[in-house]
Amino acid sequence: MHNPFKPQQAKIVDMKRETADTTTYTFEFLDEEVKENFCFTPGQFNMLTIFGIGEAPISISSDPAKSKYFQHTIRHVGNVTNAMVKLKVGDKLGIRGAYGTGWNINLLKNKNVLIVAGGIGLAPLRPVILQLAGQRGEFDRVEILYGARTPGEMLFTDEYQTWRSKGLDVLPTVDNVPDTEEWKHSVGVVTGLFDEMQSMPENTVVLTCGPEVMMQFVVKDLLERHFQPHQIYVSLERRMNCGVKKCGKCQIGPKFVCKDGPVFAYAELLTLPESVLGGVGK
Amino acid sequence: MVIARNLEAMLQASSIAFLPKEKLNDFVGLLTEEFLLYGPVQKKTEFVFEKIENAAQLALDYHTTLLPPKKVLHQPFETLFSFSEGEGAVDDVSHVEEKQLLFGVHPCDVHAISILDEVYSHEYEDPYYMAKRRGTLVVALNCSTPGDDCFCSSLGTGPDLKDGYDLLLTDLGDNYLVETGSKAGQELVEMARLYSAPRVTLVEKEKRLSDARKKFKKRMITDGLHDLLEENFRHPVWEELMKKCLACGSCTMVCPTCFCYNVVDKIDLGLRSGKRQREWDSCMLLEYAQVAMGHNFRKDRDARIKQRLYHKLAYYEPQFGTLGCVGCGRCIHTCVKKIDITEIIGRIRGE
Repeated sequence: MHNPFKPQQAKIVDMKRETADTTTYTFEFLDEEVKENFCFTPGQFNMLTIFGIGEAPISISSDPAKSKYFQHTIRHVGNVTNAMVKLKVGDKLGIRGAYGTGWNINLLKNKNVLIVAGGIGLAPLRPVILQLAGQRGEFDRVEILYGARTPGEMLFTDEYQTWRSKGLDVLPTVDNVPDTEEWKHSVGVVTGLFDEMQSMPENTVVLTCGPEVMMQFVVKDLLERHFQPHQIYVSLERRMNCGVKKCGKCQIGPKFVCKDGPVFAYAELLTLPESVLGGVGK
Repeated sequence: MVIARNLEAMLQASSIAFLPKEKLNDFVGLLTEEFLLYGPVQKKTEFVFEKIENAAQLALDYHTTLLPPKKVLHQPFETLFSFSEGEGAVDDVSHVEEKQLLFGVHPCDVHAISILDEVYSHEYEDPYYMAKRRGTLVVALNCSTPGDDCFCSSLGTGPDLKDGYDLLLTDLGDNYLVETGSKAGQELVEMARLYSAPRVTLVEKEKRLSDARKKFKKRMITDGLHDLLEENFRHPVWEELMKKCLACGSCTMVCPTCFCYNVVDKIDLGLRSGKRQREWDSCMLLEYAQVAMGHNFRKDRDARIKQRLYHKLAYYEPQFGTLGCVGCGRCIHTCVKKIDITEIIGRIRGE
C-alpha cells in the first residue's frame, strides 16, 4: 500500500539568501522516478521534513514549468525552518507533496489580475507570477502590489525588472525605511497602494497572500472598493501535520485547508460559521 | 404496519444461531486461537477494552468503556516510520495486517468504527489504520441496559445494530442470539458449530431491545441540527460554556469518532536515528491551532468548544456523510465540569 506519510529524500542543489531571515532553496528528488513524476500547480505546498525535528507545510515558490528543480522560499521562524538554517548545498532532507489547491490560472484568462502580497506571502504567489509572465498575452492588466516591513526585507527584488519587462506592473511599498537604507518608492501598508493602482473591480480577479491581519485589511478595503467576495482569492495558513485530511488540524468548518485549500475564494469562506480573516463582509 | 414490516425483514435476515452462555468459554477459547482478542474488562467501577485470554476476564454486562475500542485501530501513540541519518525514512512499519478481533462491542462503538473507516479511507487511504482494520473482525453486542449518559437511541446508533459487524450477539438470558453480518462471521459460527436458532427468537430479541429503548434518560433531537447550529453560532450558551469549560481535552480523548493527531519525531540517544510518531491530539487544547510565530487561530476557549461541538454535529456530515456523534455519552461521563452535549443542544432549542 502506498504510504502518503513517508517523505522522499530530496537534495539541496542551490541556495540563495533573500533577506536576513529568509532563504530560497532549490531541490531535486534523489529517486529518479519520483523526480520525473513530481509536478505541481502554483499555490500548492509540500511537507518538508528535517528528520528528528519534524515536518512543516511550505508553499512551493518556483515556476511549475520546471518541476524537476523546484524551490521553497523559507523564512526561518519555526522549528523545522530554523533547523534549515544550517543546511548547505548537497544536504538532504525529506519532502512529500504537492498538496492542496492552487491559484487557478484558467480563471485568470482574459481577465485583469491584481496580486496583493505581504512579506513572505510573495513566495506562494511567485509561481503564478512566473506563469502570468510566461503566458502574458492570455491576460489583461496584471498588477502586483507588494508590501514588506523594510526595503531589506523585500523578496525577489532582482526579479522585478524582468517581471516589468514582461508587462507586469510591480508596485512595492515598505512600512518604514531605516536610516541605513535607501528607498524611492511608497512608504506605508500595502493597502495604501490601492489609491495608486490601476485595477478596478470590473473583470478583475484578486490573488492575495500575506500575514493574517494584512489579508484581513486587503479583503476589507477591496470590498469597500466594490470588489465582490467571489473575485478575491486568498491563501490561508493553518497548522498541518499530514497534508492528506487525516490529522484534522487545518479544519475550518467542514473544509480541510490542506486539501480544499490553502487557496479559497473569499466567497466560499463567507459561507462558514466560523469567521475567517475576521469575518469581514459577513 | 411498520412493526410487521420490520418483523418480515428480520425473518428474512441471514442465518441466526444460539451461543449458550455455558459455551461462551469454549467459544472465546476458539477465538483466541485464531485472533488477538480484545474485549470489555472491569476495572473497579469502570470498564476498559483489553486483550483477553479467556472468557472469565470478560464483563459482557458492561456499561460504556472508558476509552472506545478505537484505541486498537487508531492507537493513542503510533510509530509511522523510523529514520536514520543519510537514509531518510526507512523501515515502513505500516503494512502488518494483524489478525485481531474486537469482542462485545456496543452498537454505538460499531457505528463509530464505521465512521472512522470512512475518515481513514476518504480520498487518501491511511495505511496504518487500514492495515489494522482489514485484519480486524467485530463481534458486536446489542445493548440491553443503556447507561445514564447514553443517547444513542436519539441518533439511530443503538441500542441495536443493523450493520458494521461480523457477528452480532444479543443477550437472551441463557443464550446469546448470534446473527452473522459477513462471510468471516459465518465461518466463525461454523467453526464453533453453533446450533441454528429458530426465527421466532428474533421476536424475543426485539422485545428485549424495545425494553432497552424505554430506559434512556438522555436524548438529543437531531431534526434540522445543522441549520440550528449554523443559526446559533453566537448563542449566549457558548460564552457560558467558555467560563465553565476547563479546556482539558478529556471529552475528545474519550470520543470514539475523534481522529485528530499530532506528529512528533523521537530521536534516539545517539542522535543519528529516531522514529516519527503520531499521538492523539485535541481541538480543545490551546496549541492545537497555533502556527509558527505564535499566531493562534482558536485562542479563545469558546472557539475551541464550538469547534468540537460543530465538528461532531454540523461539519462531519458534509465531510463524511454522517453525524460525528454516536451518542455513547463518554464526553458527558468524563467531563469534570459536567458539560453535557445533549443539554447544550436542548438549551439552543429552547427546551
